[in-house]
Amino acid sequence: MDDNRTPATALDEPLGDPREMLAMLEEQQRRVADSQIAPVVWLYFIWGVAWFVGFLALWSGDVDGNPWFTIPAGVATPLFIVLLVISIVSSAVIGLRINRGVRGMSSFSGAVYGLSWSVCGTAFGLLGTALISHGMSTDLANLFFPSGFALMCGTIYLGGAALWRDKSQLVLGLVMLVVGAAAPFAGSPGNDLVFALVGGGAFLVTAAVMAARLRRNR
Amino acid sequence: MDELDPVIHASARLKITATLATLEVGDQIAFPRLQELLGMTAGNLSTHLRKLEDAGYVDVVKSHQGRSPVTYLALSRTGRRAFEDYREALRGLLGESS
Repeated sequence: MDDNRTPATALDEPLGDPREMLAMLEEQQRRVADSQIAPVVWLYFIWGVAWFVGFLALWSGDVDGNPWFTIPAGVATPLFIVLLVISIVSSAVIGLRINRGVRGMSSFSGAVYGLSWSVCGTAFGLLGTALISHGMSTDLANLFFPSGFALMCGTIYLGGAALWRDKSQLVLGLVMLVVGAAAPFAGSPGNDLVFALVGGGAFLVTAAVMAARLRRNR
Repeated sequence: MDELDPVIHASARLKITATLATLEVGDQIAFPRLQELLGMTAGNLSTHLRKLEDAGYVDVVKSHQGRSPVTYLALSRTGRRAFEDYREALRGLLGESS
Protein backbone atom coordinates (compact mmCIF):
# COMPACT_ATOMS: atom_id res chain seq x y z
CA MET A 1 0.00 0.00 0.00
CA ASP A 2 2.94 2.32 0.56
CA ASP A 3 3.28 2.74 -3.19
CA ASN A 4 -0.03 4.54 -3.16
CA ARG A 5 0.95 6.96 -0.51
CA THR A 6 1.46 10.47 -1.71
CA PRO A 7 2.56 13.56 0.21
CA ALA A 8 -1.07 14.67 0.28
CA THR A 9 -2.12 11.67 2.33
CA ALA A 10 1.06 11.12 4.28
CA LEU A 11 -0.13 13.70 6.80
CA ASP A 12 -3.36 11.84 7.44
CA GLU A 13 -4.09 8.89 9.67
CA PRO A 14 -2.37 5.67 8.67
CA LEU A 15 -4.08 3.96 5.76
CA GLY A 16 -5.57 0.54 6.10
CA ASP A 17 -5.44 -2.20 3.52
CA PRO A 18 -8.13 -2.33 0.81
CA ARG A 19 -10.22 -4.82 2.78
CA GLU A 20 -10.30 -2.54 5.83
CA MET A 21 -11.04 0.50 3.68
CA LEU A 22 -13.92 -1.25 1.90
CA ALA A 23 -15.29 -2.48 5.24
CA MET A 24 -15.03 1.06 6.64
CA LEU A 25 -16.83 2.46 3.61
CA GLU A 26 -19.66 -0.06 3.86
CA GLU A 27 -19.90 0.30 7.63
CA GLN A 28 -20.28 4.08 7.33
CA GLN A 29 -22.97 3.80 4.64
CA ARG A 30 -24.83 1.22 6.73
CA ARG A 31 -24.62 3.60 9.70
CA VAL A 32 -26.26 6.33 7.63
CA ALA A 33 -28.98 3.95 6.40
CA ASP A 34 -29.60 2.66 9.95
CA SER A 35 -29.96 6.21 11.25
CA GLN A 36 -32.86 6.62 8.82
CA ILE A 37 -34.42 3.22 9.56
CA ALA A 38 -34.40 3.47 13.37
CA PRO A 39 -37.06 6.22 13.57
CA VAL A 40 -39.27 4.27 11.13
CA VAL A 41 -39.19 1.27 13.48
CA TRP A 42 -40.53 3.55 16.23
CA LEU A 43 -43.25 4.83 13.90
CA TYR A 44 -44.42 1.32 13.05
CA PHE A 45 -44.31 0.34 16.71
CA ILE A 46 -46.40 3.35 17.79
CA TRP A 47 -48.96 2.74 15.02
CA GLY A 48 -48.99 -0.98 15.78
CA VAL A 49 -49.88 -0.32 19.42
CA ALA A 50 -52.50 2.25 18.39
CA TRP A 51 -54.19 -0.16 15.95
CA PHE A 52 -53.93 -3.19 18.22
CA VAL A 53 -55.05 -1.56 21.47
CA GLY A 54 -57.38 1.00 19.86
CA PHE A 55 -59.37 -1.41 17.73
CA LEU A 56 -59.45 -4.03 20.48
CA ALA A 57 -60.93 -1.32 22.72
CA LEU A 58 -63.57 -0.46 20.11
CA TRP A 59 -64.39 -4.14 19.67
CA SER A 60 -64.64 -4.56 23.45
CA GLY A 61 -66.77 -1.43 23.72
CA ASP A 62 -69.56 -3.00 21.68
CA VAL A 63 -72.00 -5.39 23.39
CA ASP A 64 -71.81 -7.69 20.34
CA GLY A 65 -68.01 -7.62 20.39
CA ASN A 66 -65.62 -9.07 22.92
CA PRO A 67 -67.33 -12.13 24.54
CA TRP A 68 -65.00 -12.08 27.56
CA PHE A 69 -65.36 -8.53 28.86
CA THR A 70 -66.90 -5.23 27.84
CA ILE A 71 -65.39 -1.76 28.12
CA PRO A 72 -67.83 1.14 28.48
CA ALA A 73 -68.21 2.84 25.09
CA GLY A 74 -67.49 6.14 26.87
CA VAL A 75 -63.98 4.80 27.55
CA ALA A 76 -63.33 2.79 24.38
CA THR A 77 -63.98 5.56 21.84
CA PRO A 78 -61.95 8.29 23.61
CA LEU A 79 -59.12 5.79 24.13
CA PHE A 80 -59.13 5.02 20.40
CA ILE A 81 -59.08 8.74 19.54
CA VAL A 82 -56.28 9.51 22.02
CA LEU A 83 -54.12 6.68 20.59
CA LEU A 84 -54.80 7.96 17.07
CA VAL A 85 -53.85 11.53 17.97
CA ILE A 86 -50.65 10.39 19.74
CA SER A 87 -49.69 8.39 16.65
CA ILE A 88 -50.40 11.24 14.25
CA VAL A 89 -48.39 13.73 16.31
CA SER A 90 -45.45 11.31 16.72
CA SER A 91 -45.53 10.58 12.97
CA ALA A 92 -45.25 14.27 12.16
CA VAL A 93 -42.43 14.80 14.66
CA ILE A 94 -40.49 11.64 13.78
CA GLY A 95 -41.14 12.02 10.04
CA LEU A 96 -39.64 15.50 10.03
CA ARG A 97 -36.54 14.25 11.85
CA ILE A 98 -35.73 11.36 9.50
CA ASN A 99 -34.25 13.51 6.77
CA ARG A 100 -33.32 16.52 8.87
CA GLY A 101 -30.46 18.65 7.65
CA VAL A 102 -30.99 17.50 4.07
CA ARG A 103 -32.41 19.79 1.41
CA GLY A 104 -32.77 19.54 -2.34
CA MET A 105 -34.56 17.26 -4.75
CA SER A 106 -35.73 14.75 -2.13
CA SER A 107 -37.31 17.38 0.16
CA PHE A 108 -40.05 17.85 -2.44
CA SER A 109 -40.87 14.12 -2.35
CA GLY A 110 -40.79 14.14 1.44
CA ALA A 111 -43.03 17.19 1.69
CA VAL A 112 -45.61 15.80 -0.76
CA TYR A 113 -45.56 12.46 1.06
CA GLY A 114 -46.03 14.14 4.44
CA LEU A 115 -48.81 16.39 3.15
CA SER A 116 -50.63 13.50 1.48
CA TRP A 117 -51.43 12.05 4.94
CA SER A 118 -53.26 15.14 6.16
CA VAL A 119 -54.89 15.89 2.78
CA CYS A 120 -56.11 12.31 2.23
CA GLY A 121 -57.17 12.00 5.88
CA THR A 122 -59.28 15.15 5.58
CA ALA A 123 -60.79 13.98 2.28
CA PHE A 124 -61.83 10.58 3.67
CA GLY A 125 -63.17 12.24 6.83
CA LEU A 126 -65.27 14.70 4.82
CA LEU A 127 -66.64 11.92 2.63
CA GLY A 128 -67.73 10.00 5.71
CA THR A 129 -69.31 13.11 7.22
CA ALA A 130 -71.22 13.74 3.98
CA LEU A 131 -72.43 10.13 3.92
CA ILE A 132 -73.63 10.41 7.54
CA SER A 133 -75.47 13.66 6.75
CA HIS A 134 -77.24 11.78 3.96
CA GLY A 135 -78.43 9.02 6.20
CA MET A 136 -75.53 6.57 6.61
CA SER A 137 -76.33 4.57 9.74
CA THR A 138 -73.97 4.20 12.71
CA ASP A 139 -73.46 0.56 11.77
CA LEU A 140 -72.39 1.52 8.25
CA ALA A 141 -70.22 4.38 9.56
CA ASN A 142 -68.48 1.83 11.81
CA LEU A 143 -67.62 -0.09 8.64
CA PHE A 144 -66.76 2.93 6.53
CA PHE A 145 -64.39 4.92 8.74
CA PRO A 146 -61.85 2.25 9.73
CA SER A 147 -61.81 0.86 6.18
CA GLY A 148 -61.44 4.31 4.66
CA PHE A 149 -58.54 4.89 7.05
CA ALA A 150 -56.90 1.55 6.18
CA LEU A 151 -57.35 2.05 2.43
CA MET A 152 -55.81 5.52 2.74
CA CYS A 153 -52.82 4.14 4.70
CA GLY A 154 -52.39 1.33 2.16
CA THR A 155 -52.45 3.67 -0.81
CA ILE A 156 -50.01 6.17 0.71
CA TYR A 157 -47.67 3.38 1.82
CA LEU A 158 -47.57 2.07 -1.74
CA GLY A 159 -46.62 5.59 -2.87
CA GLY A 160 -43.89 5.70 -0.20
CA ALA A 161 -42.64 2.27 -1.28
CA ALA A 162 -42.35 3.51 -4.87
CA LEU A 163 -40.64 6.77 -3.83
CA TRP A 164 -37.97 5.25 -1.61
CA ARG A 165 -37.87 1.67 -2.95
CA ASP A 166 -38.95 0.67 0.56
CA LYS A 167 -40.09 -2.94 0.95
CA SER A 168 -41.48 -2.44 4.46
CA GLN A 169 -43.97 0.12 3.12
CA LEU A 170 -44.81 -2.17 0.19
CA VAL A 171 -45.69 -5.06 2.51
CA LEU A 172 -47.60 -2.85 4.95
CA GLY A 173 -49.41 -1.07 2.10
CA LEU A 174 -50.64 -4.34 0.64
CA VAL A 175 -51.75 -5.64 4.05
CA MET A 176 -53.64 -2.38 4.73
CA LEU A 177 -55.43 -2.55 1.37
CA VAL A 178 -56.44 -6.18 1.89
CA VAL A 179 -57.57 -5.63 5.48
CA GLY A 180 -59.40 -2.39 4.60
CA ALA A 181 -61.28 -4.06 1.76
CA ALA A 182 -61.98 -7.38 3.52
CA ALA A 183 -62.75 -6.34 7.12
CA PRO A 184 -66.26 -4.93 6.35
CA PHE A 185 -67.34 -8.46 5.36
CA ALA A 186 -66.98 -9.35 9.05
CA GLY A 187 -69.61 -6.71 9.86
CA SER A 188 -69.46 -4.40 12.87
CA PRO A 189 -67.90 -4.82 15.43
CA GLY A 190 -66.16 -7.90 13.98
CA ASN A 191 -64.26 -5.62 11.62
CA ASP A 192 -62.60 -3.93 14.61
CA LEU A 193 -61.14 -7.27 15.68
CA VAL A 194 -59.79 -7.84 12.14
CA PHE A 195 -58.16 -4.39 12.17
CA ALA A 196 -56.64 -4.98 15.61
CA LEU A 197 -55.21 -8.41 14.81
CA VAL A 198 -54.24 -8.12 11.13
CA GLY A 199 -53.57 -4.37 10.87
CA GLY A 200 -51.99 -3.86 14.28
CA GLY A 201 -50.23 -7.21 13.97
CA ALA A 202 -48.71 -6.25 10.60
CA PHE A 203 -47.27 -3.02 12.05
CA LEU A 204 -45.87 -4.76 15.13
CA VAL A 205 -44.35 -7.67 13.18
CA THR A 206 -42.74 -5.28 10.68
CA ALA A 207 -41.33 -3.17 13.53
CA ALA A 208 -39.95 -6.30 15.23
CA VAL A 209 -38.32 -7.63 12.05
CA MET A 210 -36.70 -4.26 11.31
CA ALA A 211 -35.51 -3.83 14.91
CA ALA A 212 -33.93 -7.30 14.83
CA ARG A 213 -32.16 -6.43 11.57
CA LEU A 214 -30.84 -3.17 13.03
CA ARG A 215 -29.53 -4.98 16.09
CA ARG A 216 -27.72 -7.50 13.87
CA ASN A 217 -25.99 -4.63 12.04
CA ARG A 218 -24.59 -3.22 15.24
CA MET B 1 -5.34 -1.44 -11.56
CA ASP B 2 -4.97 2.31 -11.12
CA GLU B 3 -3.59 3.70 -7.92
CA LEU B 4 -6.15 4.42 -5.24
CA ASP B 5 -7.27 8.05 -5.34
CA PRO B 6 -5.14 9.75 -2.62
CA VAL B 7 -7.83 12.38 -2.00
CA ILE B 8 -10.30 9.71 -0.84
CA HIS B 9 -7.81 7.15 0.47
CA ALA B 10 -7.68 8.42 4.07
CA SER B 11 -10.10 7.08 6.62
CA ALA B 12 -11.70 10.44 7.50
CA ARG B 13 -12.23 11.48 3.90
CA LEU B 14 -13.37 8.01 2.89
CA LYS B 15 -16.08 8.19 5.55
CA ILE B 16 -17.07 11.70 4.47
CA THR B 17 -17.37 10.80 0.79
CA ALA B 18 -19.16 7.52 1.62
CA THR B 19 -21.71 9.49 3.67
CA LEU B 20 -22.20 12.19 1.04
CA ALA B 21 -22.62 9.47 -1.61
CA THR B 22 -25.72 8.18 0.21
CA LEU B 23 -27.51 11.47 -0.57
CA GLU B 24 -29.76 11.50 -3.62
CA VAL B 25 -28.24 13.40 -6.55
CA GLY B 26 -29.41 17.00 -6.19
CA ASP B 27 -29.57 16.88 -2.37
CA GLN B 28 -27.32 18.73 0.06
CA ILE B 29 -26.68 18.08 3.75
CA ALA B 30 -26.17 20.63 6.51
CA PHE B 31 -22.75 20.63 8.19
CA PRO B 32 -24.06 19.80 11.73
CA ARG B 33 -26.07 16.82 10.47
CA LEU B 34 -23.08 15.50 8.50
CA GLN B 35 -20.94 15.91 11.61
CA GLU B 36 -23.49 13.93 13.61
CA LEU B 37 -23.57 11.08 11.07
CA LEU B 38 -19.77 10.92 11.09
CA GLY B 39 -19.08 11.47 14.78
CA MET B 40 -16.16 13.79 13.95
CA THR B 41 -15.20 17.07 15.59
CA ALA B 42 -16.19 20.20 13.68
CA GLY B 43 -12.54 21.20 13.22
CA ASN B 44 -11.49 17.82 11.89
CA LEU B 45 -14.47 17.67 9.54
CA SER B 46 -13.77 21.19 8.22
CA THR B 47 -10.14 20.35 7.52
CA HIS B 48 -10.99 17.28 5.49
CA LEU B 49 -13.90 18.98 3.72
CA ARG B 50 -11.52 21.74 2.61
CA LYS B 51 -9.23 19.12 1.05
CA LEU B 52 -12.17 17.55 -0.73
CA GLU B 53 -13.37 20.96 -1.86
CA ASP B 54 -9.88 21.88 -3.13
CA ALA B 55 -9.88 18.68 -5.18
CA GLY B 56 -13.25 19.68 -6.66
CA TYR B 57 -14.99 16.67 -5.07
CA VAL B 58 -17.32 18.55 -2.74
CA ASP B 59 -19.56 21.53 -3.45
CA VAL B 60 -19.97 23.91 -0.52
CA VAL B 61 -23.00 26.20 -0.36
CA LYS B 62 -23.22 28.86 2.34
CA SER B 63 -26.79 29.60 3.24
CA HIS B 64 -28.86 31.20 5.98
CA GLN B 65 -31.53 29.73 8.19
CA GLY B 66 -33.17 32.76 9.74
CA ARG B 67 -30.15 34.71 10.97
CA SER B 68 -27.75 31.86 11.54
CA PRO B 69 -25.48 30.79 8.71
CA VAL B 70 -25.62 27.14 7.65
CA THR B 71 -23.19 25.41 5.34
CA TYR B 72 -24.60 22.78 3.01
CA LEU B 73 -22.45 20.13 1.38
CA ALA B 74 -22.77 17.67 -1.45
CA LEU B 75 -20.50 15.62 -3.68
CA SER B 76 -19.83 17.31 -7.00
CA ARG B 77 -20.30 15.25 -10.15
CA THR B 78 -16.52 14.71 -10.19
CA GLY B 79 -16.58 13.73 -6.52
CA ARG B 80 -19.36 11.19 -6.97
CA ARG B 81 -17.56 9.66 -9.92
CA ALA B 82 -14.27 9.60 -7.99
CA PHE B 83 -15.97 7.85 -5.06
CA GLU B 84 -17.50 5.22 -7.33
CA ASP B 85 -14.16 4.68 -9.09
CA TYR B 86 -12.45 4.39 -5.71
CA ARG B 87 -14.92 1.76 -4.54
CA GLU B 88 -14.52 -0.16 -7.77
CA ALA B 89 -10.73 0.04 -7.42
CA LEU B 90 -10.92 -1.39 -3.88
CA ARG B 91 -13.14 -4.21 -5.05
CA GLY B 92 -10.81 -4.82 -7.97
CA LEU B 93 -7.83 -5.07 -5.61
CA LEU B 94 -9.75 -7.58 -3.53
CA GLY B 95 -10.68 -9.57 -6.61
CA GLU B 96 -14.39 -8.84 -6.19
CA SER B 97 -16.45 -8.01 -9.19
CA SER B 98 -19.25 -5.51 -8.70
